[in-house]
Amino acid sequence: MFRDGYSIFETVGTLNFLFGTIWAPAASVPSYGIAALIIGTILVTLGAMVFAVPLSLGCAIYISELASPRVKNILKPATELLAGIPSVVYGFFGMIVLSNFIRVAFNIPSGQTWLAGSILLGIMALPTIISVSEDAISSVPREYREGSLATGATRWQTISRVIVPAALSGIAAAVILGIGRAIGETMAVIMVTGNAAIIPNPIWNVLSSVRTLTGTLGIEMGDVPIGSEHYHALFGVAVVLLLITLIINLSAVAILSHLSDGKTAGRSRRPWLDIPALAPVREKLRPYSGTILIALIALLSLTIGLWEGAIVIILAAVIWHYGRERLSRHSIERVAFGCVVAAAVIVLAILAIILGYIIINGLPAISWDFLTQSPTNLGRGGGIFPAIVGTLYLVAGAILIALPLGVGAAVYLVEYTREGRITKVIRTGVDLLNGTPSIVFGLFGFAFLVIFLNVGVSLIAGMITLALMVLPTVIRTTEEALKNIPQSLREGSLALGATKWQTIKNVVLPPAVPGIVTGAILSIGRAAGETAPIMFTAVVFSTRFLPTSLFQPVMALPYHLFILSTNVPGSSANKYGTALVLLMLVVAFYAVAILIRNHYAKKARG
Amino acid sequence: MSDSTVIATKNLNLWYNEKHALQDITMEIEKKKTTALIGPSGCGKSTLLRCFNRMNDLISHVKITGELLLDKEDMLCNGMDVVALRKRVGMVFQRPNPFPKSIYENVAYGPRVHGISDRKVLDEIVERSLRHAALWEEVRDRLNDSALGLSGGQQQRLCIARTLAVEPEVILMDEPCSALDPIATAKIENLIEMLKEYYTVIIVTHNMQQAARVSDYTGFMYLGKLIEFDKTTTIFEHPKEDLTENYITGRFG
Repeated sequence: MFRDGYSIFETVGTLNFLFGTIWAPAASVPSYGIAALIIGTILVTLGAMVFAVPLSLGCAIYISELASPRVKNILKPATELLAGIPSVVYGFFGMIVLSNFIRVAFNIPSGQTWLAGSILLGIMALPTIISVSEDAISSVPREYREGSLATGATRWQTISRVIVPAALSGIAAAVILGIGRAIGETMAVIMVTGNAAIIPNPIWNVLSSVRTLTGTLGIEMGDVPIGSEHYHALFGVAVVLLLITLIINLSAVAILSHLSDGKTAGRSRRPWLDIPALAPVREKLRPYSGTILIALIALLSLTIGLWEGAIVIILAAVIWHYGRERLSRHSIERVAFGCVVAAAVIVLAILAIILGYIIINGLPAISWDFLTQSPTNLGRGGGIFPAIVGTLYLVAGAILIALPLGVGAAVYLVEYTREGRITKVIRTGVDLLNGTPSIVFGLFGFAFLVIFLNVGVSLIAGMITLALMVLPTVIRTTEEALKNIPQSLREGSLALGATKWQTIKNVVLPPAVPGIVTGAILSIGRAAGETAPIMFTAVVFSTRFLPTSLFQPVMALPYHLFILSTNVPGSSANKYGTALVLLMLVVAFYAVAILIRNHYAKKARG
Repeated sequence: MSDSTVIATKNLNLWYNEKHALQDITMEIEKKKTTALIGPSGCGKSTLLRCFNRMNDLISHVKITGELLLDKEDMLCNGMDVVALRKRVGMVFQRPNPFPKSIYENVAYGPRVHGISDRKVLDEIVERSLRHAALWEEVRDRLNDSALGLSGGQQQRLCIARTLAVEPEVILMDEPCSALDPIATAKIENLIEMLKEYYTVIIVTHNMQQAARVSDYTGFMYLGKLIEFDKTTTIFEHPKEDLTENYITGRFG
C-alpha cells in the first residue's frame, strides 16, 4: 500500500498533497490536494461524536444501572441489532429519509450535508460505544457500589462519582472505537454527505456539503486506470487515512495503559505534572479547574468565530454552577435519571424508525419470485437470488477463515505466552488492525490479491478480505472471554494432573464459548453488511448465474443495494426490497447467535 | 423499648423469592455497645445486618415484613429516605472495597456527597477519620497515592475511616476480618474496642473467639432464627439453649 501511495508524494510534493485545498483529479490540469478531504473527515467525525457520546453514555448507564432485568433483556439485543444494520442500509435510510428531512427543515436545495453525515455516523457509532461502555460499567465490582451507597450517597452520586470514574478507561476505549468506526465508514458517508471536496465556509456551517477521505476512495477507486497518477493519488489518500487511524488508535492505547497504570500506582506516577515549582500554583488553581476548562472551550469557539456557541456554553456553565447549589441532591438525581432514560428512549426510537421505515416500504416488494429470480433490466425488475447466495458464500467463507485463526491466536496469546513485549506488540497490532477502515481493507485486497497475486475479482478474494477485516474482532473478543475465566479454575484443573491442553479444552474454553460466540456474531454481522471491502475485490453488479468456483465474481446484497440506490433511477420497489432482505438476513444471523449465547450463558450458570 | 436502644426489630421476616431467610427476629440493640451476630454459614446473620441499612434493597425479589426501628423511627415505611438512613448507619464489608481513587479521596468521598466542598473542612475530616481508624501515621505522607496500593488490613481500616468520615450513629461490620491475616485482624479488633466509645457497632463474625473478645452482646442465629440473644458473657458461659451451647463448644451437627 505504501509502495503504491509513495509516488504521489513524490510527484505532487508532500506539502501540496497534504495542504492543497483543491482536489480535482479529472480536470485538464489535475490537482491533488487533500486538505479539504482531511478537514471533511475530521468535521464529520467530530459532529458524529457530539451526537453519539452523550446519547450512548446515557443509554449505557441506563442499561447497566437502572434498567430492570426485563428491560435490559430487550435493550441489549436492540443495541446489538443497531450494530448489525449494514452501513449501506444506514446510507440508504440517510439518503432517502434523513437528508430529505434536513432539506425541508432548513429549507436548502440539498439535504446531503455535513449535518446529515454526522447524524448518520453518530447513529452508526452508537452501538459500539454503548456496548463497550456498558460492559465497562457493568464490570465495575459490586463492592464499589455497596461501599458508596453505605456512606449515604444517592444512586446518581454513586454512578457519577464512583462507577463512571472506575469505568473510565473502558468508556474512553468505547469512544475511541466509536471514532474509529465513524472515520472508517465509507458507504453511508458517500450516500449522505454530498461529496463536494470543499471546506465548509464558515467552518461551522453544518449545512455545507463535505467529502471525506473514505468517500473519495469509495467513489473514485472503481474507475481509475491502474498505475496512473490518479491511482497513486488514491493510494496516497489511503495512506493518510491509515495514518490518521493509526494515530487515533495509538493514542487510545497510550491513554488506556496510562489509566490502568494510574489505577495501581496513583497520582505520583505522572511526573510531568509534578513540577515542584508549579505545585502552589496548581493547588490554587485546582478549585477553579472546571471554570478554566469552560473558559478555554469558550475561547476556542470564539476564535473560530462561533460567538453564539461561546455564549451558550458560558450560560450553561453559569446555570449549572448556581443551579447545583439550589437543587437538593434528590432533585439532581431525578433530573439526571430523566436524561439517562431519555437517552435510552431516543436510541430505541431511532432503531424503531429505521426498522419500521424499511419494513413498511420493503414488504410489498418481497415475493417468492423476488427471492428466487435473477435481476432483469439493471435490477429494476426480477429478483435478487444471486445476490443473496453471493452474500451467504462470502460470509461463510470469511468466518471459516477468520474463526479458527482468531480463536487460535487468542488462545495462544492468553494461555501460552507470558505477558511481555511480544504479546504487547501483537496486541497493539491487533488493535490497529481493528481500527483500520474497511475501505482500506478493500484497497489492500484489491492491490494485493486481485492485482498482485492475480486472482482477479473473485469470491475467494472477497472472502479473504472480509476475513482479514473481522479477524481482530474475533481475536479481541475471544481474548476477553478467556481472560475472564478465573485463574483459580485453571489452577484447580492443573492441580488434578490435567495437561495444559486438557485444561484449556475442558475447563477454560467451555465457559468462554458465549464470549467467543459474541465475537463471531459481531463478525458475521459486519461481514454480511460490509460493502467497501468487497466492492473492488469480489462483486459485480449483475450476473445471471451463481458462481461455480471460488475464482468467479459474485453478486452481493449490500453492493446491489448501493448501486440500486445511487446509480439506477426508477428501481424503488426493488431498492426497498433489497434493503429489507439484507436487513432480515443480518437480523437472522444475530438472532440465532444471541440465542446460542444466552443458551450457553444459562448452562454456564448451572 | 428503653432509651438506650438504637435499633429494634420486632417479628422481622424476610424472604428471598420463596426462601424464608429471616424468621420472626425480635431484638434490641443497645447504644454505644458492640453487638456480635454469630452462627453457621447461611443462617441469615449477614442478611439481618443488611436489613439495618436497607442494603437488601439492592437485591430484587426481597420481601420484608415486621417492624424495624432506628431510634423509634420506622425504617421500613415507604417514605423512609434510604439515603439519609445510610448516612446514619454506615457499613464495612467483608472484603475491603476502597474505591480506585486516592486515599484522601476515599475518605473525603462521603462528606463530599453530603455536600461539603470546603477544602479545609475536608482536610480536617480526613485527618480525624484516619486517626480514629488508626491509619493516619501509616499514610499521612502519601494521602494522594492510590488506595489500591495499601495492604489488605490497611485497606480495611481505610474503609472504616471512610465510614467514620460520615459520622454515622451505627456501624455495621460484615465479617470485616475474614479476608485478613491475624496481625491485621488484631488491629481491627483493637479499633472496634476504641470505636465503642463513640459508636454503636454491630459485627457479624464466623470467629467465636472474636465475638467473645470484642462484643458486649451476642446473638446466635440458626436457620434464619435468632436462637438466643444476651450478654456475651452469658452466651459463652451459661447459654440457655442447647443449640447455642453445641455451637460455641464446637459440637455441632
